Amino acid sequence: MTTTTTATRVAARAVHATKVYGAGSTEVRALDDVTVDLPGAMFTAVMGPSGSGKSTLMHCVAGLDSLTSGQVFIGTQELGALSDKALTLVRREQVGFVFQSFNLVPTLSALENITLPLDLAGAKPDRDWLDHVIATVGLGDRLRHRPSELSGGQQQRVAVARALASRPAIVFADEPTGNLDSRAGAEILGFMAAAVRDMGQTVVMVTHDPVAASAADQVVFLADGRVVDHLAAPTPETVLDRMKAITG
Amino acid sequence: MNGMARITLKGLWAHKRRLVGTSLAVFIGIAFLSGTLVLGDTLRANFDSLFTSANAGTDAVVRSTVKLEADGGRGPDREQRGTVPVALADRLRALPGVAAAAPSIEGYGQLVGADGKPVGAAGPPRLAGNWIDDPALNPYRLVAGRAPQADDEVVVNKGAADAGKLHVGSRTTVQTPDPVPVTVVGIATFGGADGFGSSTFTAFTLHGAEIHVAARPDQASSISLKAAPGVTQDELVATIRPVLGDGVEALTGKQFTSESIDTLGQRFLNVFTTFLTVFAGIALLVASFSIYNTFSILVAQRSRESALLRALGAARRQIVTSVVVEALVVGLAASAAGLVGGVLIAGLLKGLFDAFGFSLPAGGLVFSGGTAVVGMVVGTVVTLVAGVVPAVRASRIPPLAALREHAAEAAGVSVARVVAGAAVTGLGVVVVLAAVLGHGGSVLALAGLGAVLTIVGVVVLGPLAARPAAAMAHRPLRRFRGVTGGLAGQNAMRNPRRTSGAAAALMVGVGVVTLFTVFAASLKTSVGNSVTKSFGGDLVVNKGGFGPGGFSPQLAGQVAALPVVRAAVGIGQGVAAVDGRGRALTVADTAVLDTMLDLDVRQGSVATLGADQVAVSQKEADARKWTLGTPVPMQFVQGGNATLTVGAIYKTADVVGDYLVSRAAWAPHAAQDLDTRVLVDLRPSVGLVAGKASVEEVTAGVGGATVQDRKEYAASVSSGVNTFLGIVYVLLLLAILIALMGIANTMSLAIHERSRELGLLRAVGLTRSQVRSMVRWESVIIALFGTAGGLGLGVFLGWALVQAASSGEALTFAAPVGQLVVVLLAGAVAGVLAALRPARRAARLDILSAIAAP
Repeated sequence: MTTTTTATRVAARAVHATKVYGAGSTEVRALDDVTVDLPGAMFTAVMGPSGSGKSTLMHCVAGLDSLTSGQVFIGTQELGALSDKALTLVRREQVGFVFQSFNLVPTLSALENITLPLDLAGAKPDRDWLDHVIATVGLGDRLRHRPSELSGGQQQRVAVARALASRPAIVFADEPTGNLDSRAGAEILGFMAAAVRDMGQTVVMVTHDPVAASAADQVVFLADGRVVDHLAAPTPETVLDRMKAITG
Repeated sequence: MNGMARITLKGLWAHKRRLVGTSLAVFIGIAFLSGTLVLGDTLRANFDSLFTSANAGTDAVVRSTVKLEADGGRGPDREQRGTVPVALADRLRALPGVAAAAPSIEGYGQLVGADGKPVGAAGPPRLAGNWIDDPALNPYRLVAGRAPQADDEVVVNKGAADAGKLHVGSRTTVQTPDPVPVTVVGIATFGGADGFGSSTFTAFTLHGAEIHVAARPDQASSISLKAAPGVTQDELVATIRPVLGDGVEALTGKQFTSESIDTLGQRFLNVFTTFLTVFAGIALLVASFSIYNTFSILVAQRSRESALLRALGAARRQIVTSVVVEALVVGLAASAAGLVGGVLIAGLLKGLFDAFGFSLPAGGLVFSGGTAVVGMVVGTVVTLVAGVVPAVRASRIPPLAALREHAAEAAGVSVARVVAGAAVTGLGVVVVLAAVLGHGGSVLALAGLGAVLTIVGVVVLGPLAARPAAAMAHRPLRRFRGVTGGLAGQNAMRNPRRTSGAAAALMVGVGVVTLFTVFAASLKTSVGNSVTKSFGGDLVVNKGGFGPGGFSPQLAGQVAALPVVRAAVGIGQGVAAVDGRGRALTVADTAVLDTMLDLDVRQGSVATLGADQVAVSQKEADARKWTLGTPVPMQFVQGGNATLTVGAIYKTADVVGDYLVSRAAWAPHAAQDLDTRVLVDLRPSVGLVAGKASVEEVTAGVGGATVQDRKEYAASVSSGVNTFLGIVYVLLLLAILIALMGIANTMSLAIHERSRELGLLRAVGLTRSQVRSMVRWESVIIALFGTAGGLGLGVFLGWALVQAASSGEALTFAAPVGQLVVVLLAGAVAGVLAALRPARRAARLDILSAIAAP
């Protein structure tokens, strides 16, 4: 797998990554010798049909799951060698998450949810950065509200702001628009694209929606646990064509 | 099997881990209850067989009809019976149908061991009597040596001989209570055992017992008879009855045995088992709170599943039925296990009472059908009731509301609850205060009713207090423990009903502990105050321990003769019937007593109390409307009846009780003359330590006599309170344990419910130790909430109880701050302990599957 933007640093990398679930007749190869670079300051979409291994790839690169063999790196840090505690610290300091089902802490206000990773680390939030992030996702007047008092789109905006708050090396988004209507989904994609363009953040998004994927700078296609294709400057049409080629 | 049943059973199986917690609460409660019942049955059976074998050969018993039972006295000899002439035995023996008649003399006798120390002092009864040669009438059997033939020869039971390292031929002393030099000529066993329970028994010849043990030389305690062959017990009694005369009665052997068993049952076993049952009840009450809370959570967690079933066409009744079946299975299984546990608990309880000095007879445990039925029914019903109420409530949630993501249980506090809780609490407090201000016999019952109402009201109001209380804890936690502390506080606040539900069980348990602590402390302070105030002497020679016993009245004289002693007075106990009711009398040299005790004499003079006079307490005089000179007819077991006049009225009754007579007044009625205490005043120049050492030289060889200074004496007067409190604490520990398991269970369920949230927190960087700390702090908040509530409740009710109980005797309210702080700290530690397992499980959650959890 080659990268089109060799000038930029690599934010995360998988090298010969293999993940096997079960054994014997029930063995499933979720990832089969995947080697991929996820470049920094870029919005990458990972696409593929269900069961292609895209979520497994993201979980492994994000340090939420471990590989059967191979290596994953965040920056230059190899994750396989780390203890649970060190992995937690990597997640806390270098990784941000956006989930499909928002996953906010119901007892905390929107602002408290946003600063949660910083609070957990006992770090002081960078006020300017935080204001900038909050302004970008446009939550100014809802910060004191609890998640149950927010709409789905607003909740996901809180989740995006939370992922960006600690200025992580890389943000992983797992089907972030899956639970949203198209308008709210487009807004979320816009914020993530803006974070990459204006703030120099790195975003990796797993999706099966060609429209969502077209908001990214590049698309990596997976099928049966392998990287099968790659597309720069995608549009909904080109993404759809490639997907058809894979599944067809 | 229909669909609903299959779903129920599958659900039960799927939730088996969560149900373990519920089952444990039922299990412990039922184990305690059935353990109590087993212990009661066992003791009853053992005493039955003990008495039956002791009286096996006795066909009839002849004894005096005069029986006095002292109530409200401090003396150990609560019951005394009159005597019969020894010569009566000879007349009975001559009657046709009588094969044998043996006079039996029973009294107190302290055996001294080979090392010069008393055997079994301050413990079990120490008895002396006569050796009965007819083996049919004597439950003891010689295993070594021979029967006594001279007045200074004795047979001792094997247990006492072993303990005192005595054997056939040993020369020693028996204090009855005057020392009698004796030679051991025989060793005997009782029904194959080393003795009757752990009591000691020293048997003289009949003549020896008449001289040394009996009240009067020609008097016996009773006469045992054996029927001639072919004569039934009833025929025997019918034959002898005409020759008995006034004041003497005859019973068949069977009647005598069952009467002994009944007396013991009423006097001891029923009180004992009632006492234990009350604590089993408290444990079950606490358990039912835990079960209720667990089922509330389980039902709420399943509300989505239930809603789906309802949407698919299941009726509300079917949903409730499935919970009922679940509760039934849990109740039955846990109760059955509890019955097994009960047998173990019975063994443990027996050990506990042994450890606190109440020895109970040994023997195999008796497990009756009644125990099984009571255990199963109570356990199952408690579980059913506690499980069904939340199920019915949950079934009222409309299915569509439950299908939405965050339906679950209603977390808020309804107005109806607030109104009802406030009303019940208010009523309870009013009733308690009415009891505090009121007078008369119903005051304690009123206070009890008020206490129950207050507890119920406070439990109902709990959720209202839970949120502010958790918020109070939340602020400092947030500040000092950072985000984990903050999250813990908010988790405790998010569902106040659940928080207070989990804490309620602990609150009730701690409340009862506090109540007893406060009451006992008040009692001890009051007794200690008044003893120190009224007793002006320096030392007390105290018999100590439980059961009958004492020492010779001569001891007081010996102590008084010591050069270091200014004055000494012996205090003995007697019984007399006043208006047909037995009363404890204190017997003393009143002239000397008056110089040593400040009795706060209001009228008349204790110092000059005559042989025809009695001094009574102000309380007793007021109750009976007596004044100086009022004639008081009294009935005695010895020496017939007499009328004494009131010669003095005193206020301070802590040391001498309600009735005080001089030695001269008591002498015509004395049986075996025993002093239980000697009050000692040292000369002013003598130091306490030196004085105590001198007195101890005199008392060294006297069975069970300990020398105490004022402080030690005050402590020993209230030492019964400590022993009682110790047993109460151990029994309540079970209730507290159940309450803690309730908290642990609530935490486990909450963690299961929030696993998605926990997974998320872990994903965004909460370390495992932070997860543990978060769970721990939430548990500590719940435990502290329950403990603080229980402390408040217990102190209030303890205060009320003290006030209500002191409407006759003066009791001072005392809240032992140190002990209560310890209780509070223990509550916090308990919270940490309860969180151990849930915290570990929370920290171990797999992040990915937690996030994927529904």
